[in-house]
Amino acid sequence: MSPDQIFQLSNPLALIGWLALILSPLSPIWADRVAALAVPLLLSLAYSGLVLAHWSGAQGGFSSLPDVMLLFTQAPIALAGWLHYLAFDLFVGAWAVRTARAEKIPHLLVIPSLILTFLFGPAGFLAFSILRLIMSQRKTV
Amino acid sequence: MTPAFARPATLPASRLWADAPILTGIALLMALGCLPILSAAAFDTRLFQGDNIWLKPFKFHLALAIYTITLAYFARFMSEATRASRLWRNYLTVAAAAIVAEVVWIGGAAALGTASHFNTSSPLWSGLYALMGVSAVTLTSVSLVMGVSIWRNQSSGLDPALHLSITLGLILTFALTVIVAGTMSSGTGHFVGSPLTDARLPLFGWSREVGDLRAPHFLATHALHAVPLAGLIVTRLAPAQPIRLVWLAASGYAALVLAMFVQALLGLPLI
Repeated sequence: MSPDQIFQLSNPLALIGWLALILSPLSPIWADRVAALAVPLLLSLAYSGLVLAHWSGAQGGFSSLPDVMLLFTQAPIALAGWLHYLAFDLFVGAWAVRTARAEKIPHLLVIPSLILTFLFGPAGFLAFSILRLIMSQRKTV
Repeated sequence: MTPAFARPATLPASRLWADAPILTGIALLMALGCLPILSAAAFDTRLFQGDNIWLKPFKFHLALAIYTITLAYFARFMSEATRASRLWRNYLTVAAAAIVAEVVWIGGAAALGTASHFNTSSPLWSGLYALMGVSAVTLTSVSLVMGVSIWRNQSSGLDPALHLSITLGLILTFALTVIVAGTMSSGTGHFVGSPLTDARLPLFGWSREVGDLRAPHFLATHALHAVPLAGLIVTRLAPAQPIRLVWLAASGYAALVLAMFVQALLGLPLI
């Protein structure tokens, strides 16, 4: 498969995971299986293959910002980077949903953090951490 | 499936959570929301009316944090039954949603590099501005409702003068803010006049050349601090007619705010 084809497949795949998280109150176990295991593992598999196949021939590296930018000018590596985002953002989203359920944070309050994690990963993690801190204080009384 | 991840640190438990969980939660949300805003301010070189574009969201987060934590504190003087009622909790949920909507709108406009208040550049922004006016009145109305509720609570355990000062402060915050902010929002901006030199008061940023309606808005909204503070002083000094003194302090404060309001409307700076 070409990088373009993998890219076209990976986005809907990740979306299925996010949908499962949004609807997770319906079936927490299946949401976790899909969003914390199946989808991130599939993406991780594709990522590993891409890196094994293309890393040695890639230009650039991690040691300077221009090196990183050079790295991402190559389609297979940029695709791997994109899959990395998709896989880890979803994994963090699934963790947030699991944590919220364990700590009795209403799912409705978690959804904005999930949307933020989906769009801007770390910003969503920050938002969820703030929400979690606030809700944990509330329960101490 | 309990996640074995780090739990967040626990702050000292406080009465605030028991008396007003929604208001306390919102106050903490507004305060912690300052962190990404300050981070953005550090990276963003865009200016809005001469200031860092994130200054306004920061000010609103700070102001709303102070407002809601103050209300959360005063909630203990409402009757237990009112505080526990479904109606009160539902009302606070709506007000909390209004507060969140307000800061998302203000922060979102900053991110997009545009104005929040007074933005009529498109039907969408005009519509949002009108909607956020409703939100603002909703969130300000909590002080009125709480003021009336404390007024009617005979068993607050407070000294009568202090009790009166808290209710008057809360009610004045609503009444004066609606007058000042309502008038301001129906205009085209917070200035009355056109500043030429950008001479401004330090910290607050109010104009020193022309009328700036943000100054009376600031004092109007802080009635819930100023009048109870006067009540506290009256209670400590224990004069002959404490109730009359609290009424005097409240009317004096209202008169001061209205005088500053008129001064700004005339196009005159505060100092």
